Amino acid sequence: MKDPALRERRTASAVLIYLIILVSFQVFLVTVAVEAFITSQEGLGWATAIVSVVLAASAGFFVRYLRH
Amino acid sequence: MTVDPKLPHVPPDTSPEPLWRRDFPYESAGEEEVTRREFARYLALGAGAIAAGNVVLAAWTQLRRINTGEPRPIVALDQVEVGGTYLFDYPGDNDPAILLRHADRSVVAFGQKCTHLGCVVFFQADENRWHCPCHEGNFEPLTGQVISGPPTRPLGRIDLEIRDDVIWALGAST
Repeated sequence: MKDPALRERRTASAVLIYLIILVSFQVFLVTVAVEAFITSQEGLGWATAIVSVVLAASAGFFVRYLRH
Repeated sequence: MTVDPKLPHVPPDTSPEPLWRRDFPYESAGEEEVTRREFARYLALGAGAIAAGNVVLAAWTQLRRINTGEPRPIVALDQVEVGGTYLFDYPGDNDPAILLRHADRSVVAFGQKCTHLGCVVFFQADENRWHCPCHEGNFEPLTGQVISGPPTRPLGRIDLEIRDDVIWALGAST
């Protein structure tokens, strides 16, 4: 792949797909957090929140990577 | 053809690029790139918002005060037959609870919400168990411990006492 513009576009697409997967997983985590709330399971709630924050941080990292 | 002298003078368009190109100066490839990056940014912002929401929800789960209720009379003992149940609300007016008189002077009570997803449980006398019809969860009649099904935690127990032939609720365990 010698064309730098094409390479850049493909990288952007790959990052975008990864971000979509991350956000889908985040939506799933919301359902887990709500269930933890309903059943008063603090441990599950905090574990969900931590995973969710890690995913959000990786999403931010990918967006930064896309800028460079 | 004469030119109206009242009209303003407009210099002739000598630019090599057409007008639409100057109004919309993106190449198709570049335009796609801009949109894609913007979309990625929105996705990351959404992920951050969801993460913040999850942290708030976890903190709320941790910090909310659970009402365990004040002692109060529920029902006269002779109004519940042996082997029968009685529905009431405890500790709050929106907390359905169920009482079972399993022996002459022995009663137990539990919150009626299944610990799986909050459906209402009822007593199955022929099977001698608390049953949740939503996902087939079953609980021990006297302890509320899980017998089978998806629930992982026992039913919320309500402490009872019989005072002068009246059943009193003393408090709910969480």
